[in-house]
Formats: sequence, C-alpha cells, structure tokens
Amino acid sequence: MRDSQVIVTGAAQTPFNRRKDGTGFRDWALDAFEAARLMACLDRADIDALFVASESDVFSLQLNPASILATELGLTGAAGMRCEAGGASGQVAVHAGVQAVASGSARQVAVVGVDPSASSLSGDKMRTLYGFSFDAWTDGMTGLTATALYALSWQVFAAEQGLGEAALAAVTKQNRGNAMANPDAHLPREHSVDEIAESPMIADPYRRLHCSPLSDGAAALILTHADHAPAARRKAPRVVGIGGATDHAQLGARSRPGDFTAKQKAMARACVLAGIAPKDIGLTEIYDSYAGAQLQGLMALGLTGDVAADLHAGAFAPDGRCPVNLSGGLMGQGAPVGAVGVGQVATCARLLEGRYHPGLQLQSPPRYALADTHGGLCTTAAVTILENGGAA
Amino acid sequence: MIPYRLSLDYTLHPGWLEPFVEGLRAGQAVARRCADCGRVSFPPVRICDCGSVDGEWVALSGRAIIRARTTGADGDFALVQFVGADTSAVVRLLDMPEGATEGQLAASDHDLPQLCLGPVDGGQSA
Ligand SMILES: [Zn+2]
Repeated sequence: MRDSQVIVTGAAQTPFNRRKDGTGFRDWALDAFEAARLMACLDRADIDALFVASESDVFSLQLNPASILATELGLTGAAGMRCEAGGASGQVAVHAGVQAVASGSARQVAVVGVDPSASSLSGDKMRTLYGFSFDAWTDGMTGLTATALYALSWQVFAAEQGLGEAALAAVTKQNRGNAMANPDAHLPREHSVDEIAESPMIADPYRRLHCSPLSDGAAALILTHADHAPAARRKAPRVVGIGGATDHAQLGARSRPGDFTAKQKAMARACVLAGIAPKDIGLTEIYDSYAGAQLQGLMALGLTGDVAADLHAGAFAPDGRCPVNLSGGLMGQGAPVGAVGVGQVATCARLLEGRYHPGLQLQSPPRYALADTHGGLCTTAAVTILENGGAA
Repeated sequence: MIPYRLSLDYTLHPGWLEPFVEGLRAGQAVARRCADCGRVSFPPVRICDCGSVDGEWVALSGRAIIRARTTGADGDFALVQFVGADTSAVVRLLDMPEGATEGQLAASDHDLPQLCLGPVDGGQSA
C-alpha cells in the first residue's frame, strides 16, 4: 500500500465517558458520523458502504446494529456490515473499510464504532461478560476476569523484562496526565504514585487505577479513494498499512505467555505493506486496557528493544522519540469497546494533519503514525499505519 | 430511560470437548495427546501445533505446578502446568495457602466445567 489511494478524509469521535444525559448509542453514532462526514466534505449520498464496529449485542440489546445505524445515519441503500473482534472490533472495521476502498468496491465508506459499555449494564455484569472474551468453556467458566488474566500475562513479562510497580505507575501517570488536555477524555487525572499504590487491588499487581474504565461513546472515519476525494481533502493522511493476526485463545497454550505474539505478526504484516520498519513510527495510539499491556504492546510492536530503559528515558512521553497515547489511551480517554480502534485511527489522523486538541497537538507531526488494538488477551491483533499526506 | 430485564438459560454443547468437560465434573484432568508428535495439552488443543488433527484422551494425575498467581478483589487465579502436560492452564485457586507451589485439580463445585485447583493435601477442601 506504499502508493495507497485510501485517504482518511474524515475523523471524529464523541467524548468517551459515562453518559448521564439520557442520550443513547444511536445519538453518539450520529454525532461522530456527522462530524467525520462534514470534515470529509461529503454528502450522505456519497457513502457507498457502512462498516459498524460493536462488540456485543448484549451491551446494546440490538442485534444487526449495522442495519439500524444505516437507517439512523441516513445511509439507507448503502452496503452495511458489522465487524467484531472483541476489543479489536473497531480496528477490524477500519480494515474492512480500507479493503473495500483499496479494492475499488467502494469509493467512500463510513466506519462507525460505538458501544454503551458504561451506561446500559452494571459494571459487575460487564465484567462478567468480558470474562467470556477468553475461551468461555475453559477459562470463562471459573469466573476468571480480564484483569486476572492480564495480570498473569504481565507477571511473566515483567519478570523477564525486570519491570515492576514503578513501570505500571509511570504508564498510569502518563496516560491519565495526557488525558488532562483531551476534552473528550473519561479519566483526566493527575495521579500521585501513592494514590495509585493505595488504590484497591483487583488482581495482583493490577490495582484499580492500573485498569481502563468502561465508557460510552462513538468514533467515526470516512475513508475515500484518492480518485474521489474532494480537492480540500486530497492531502489528508493515507492508510498505508494494515495488519492482523491471532494467537492461541488460551493463555496456557502459548509457549511465551508474557508475549503479545499476535501483535508482533500483525505489525510485521502492516510494515511490509507500508514499506517501513517499526523505527519509522513517530507516534502511536496503543491498546492499554491495563498499564502493563501498553509495555507488552510496545515490545511486541518493535517500538523499543529495551522497554524499561526507554520508558525511564521518556521515549514515549509527549515530547519523546515516539509519543504514546497522547489521547490518554483507553486508561485516560476511555473505552467504549467498538469505538476504541476507530477512535485510535481518528486520533492518529488528526495528529498527523495538525487538527488534534491544541494542548496535545505535536508542532511537527511525524511522517508515520500507528494505531494498535487487540481483542482477548491479544488473541486477535489489528494494527493500522497512517502516512502524513502533507496537509499539516 | 427504558429499564429492561433479560434472563437467559443456555444449553451449551461441548462437542469434541465432552471428555474434558466430564473429566472436570469428576475432578479428573483429561488431556489430549497428539497422535503424531505426542504433545500433551491441557486444556486440550484440538489441532496440535504440529498440524495433526488426530489425538487421544489421556488422564493426568491432576497435580499442577503454579507458575504465576494473582489475587485480589476479582478472586484467586493462577497460571499452572499440570504434571504430564506440555501446555499450561489458567485455574481458579481454592483455599490455596500463600506461597504454595503446587496443587491438585478439584471437582467443580457447580455443574460447570470449572478448572479449579485446591491444596495438594487438602482434597476435602474442594
Ligand atoms: Zn502434534
């Protein structure tokens, strides 16, 4: 995709938070879609296909959400498809949209991710359901939670890398701190190390503040073939690489349970398409469902060879070599599941284009950005590489 | 706001996993041994990493070595390796003393195929 014709002409999201204003997922989807569509300078009739990311019917109590949203968004007549890959649902919907445009089967597509992860069911019920994100018939039946499973994988990784509580605190402080300048963020916080260390233990060593929240919200992209892009949007960022991979669903079946091997494979595939190496990535939105997962992800993606040293040296800070999760990530910005991967790509596109929140916008945007998402315990990985189109 | 209550009663059919599920109900670790390379997986992996589909069911002792353990508000869980298996398993720990390095598979205390590990000498605790 080095000479990619897939342009991110529109990129938007709603705030991610717990809604208490009576609005629902259909409202958020429309808000995000309309903002992306207006940015893309397109009419509804220009959209050939709608790709919807939503993790579970159980959250929204709506089977077949693509058909409902096609109607709600005024896209009746367009092709419609719902995409699902657990936590990576949003990113695989982006991939489906990219493939449709790249193949020539659609000129312009809308990708809309949405989930009411905070306001429709109780936190306990959501956590129970998330337990079935893993092998429901082996792991899920014991009541194993996502936090406990991630904690076990992190323990193996941390022991190998010489990482401990200080690393978890550094990630937590940075992501929530970045979120302070993001008006769409669910948890903008200036945490102290003591506050983190004193928060309740959920699954050793993960404490409550090391975990991402359950959020409501939506994100949307408009992807356009270069031949059909409005003149004002021809220099918007392009998608130059997509990659996906899977790993054993059961943690115990993996020879190295601390490694996110699927992420490594997905990244390799995306880099081949983009014709670049991981070192060329200048900013990234990484799937930080837990503080440690961000560090496991950085290693798997090849963005560091010594994660402990690079973290300590500030390589991933807003002014570092490769800023990570400027949005705040899942931990700071929030996690309405289906919207996450779509929102990550939207954030990368806006940052490359110089259209992100002023307090977080890089003055000299890099050439390449990476959006990284996974489902399960990195059982399904999906990454997208964007290239600056020269608009910034 | 629309309050809506949904209660679902599933009937799940484990299919090829039936021997594993029945084993757990009886407190027995029934593993899968690859017919080609001999690799033993527990929980069972249907298609071996070597590519073989053929395998046979073998009963392990149920003794497991604890490799990593996590405790907290979510409960007590561990990544363990059952003796005789080449793969690891994630289990719920039952009344496991702090610092324990091994345990014994316990029969599920619900009518569910739960992978639970109890103390080696405290079989009655399950
Ligand atoms: Zn084999």
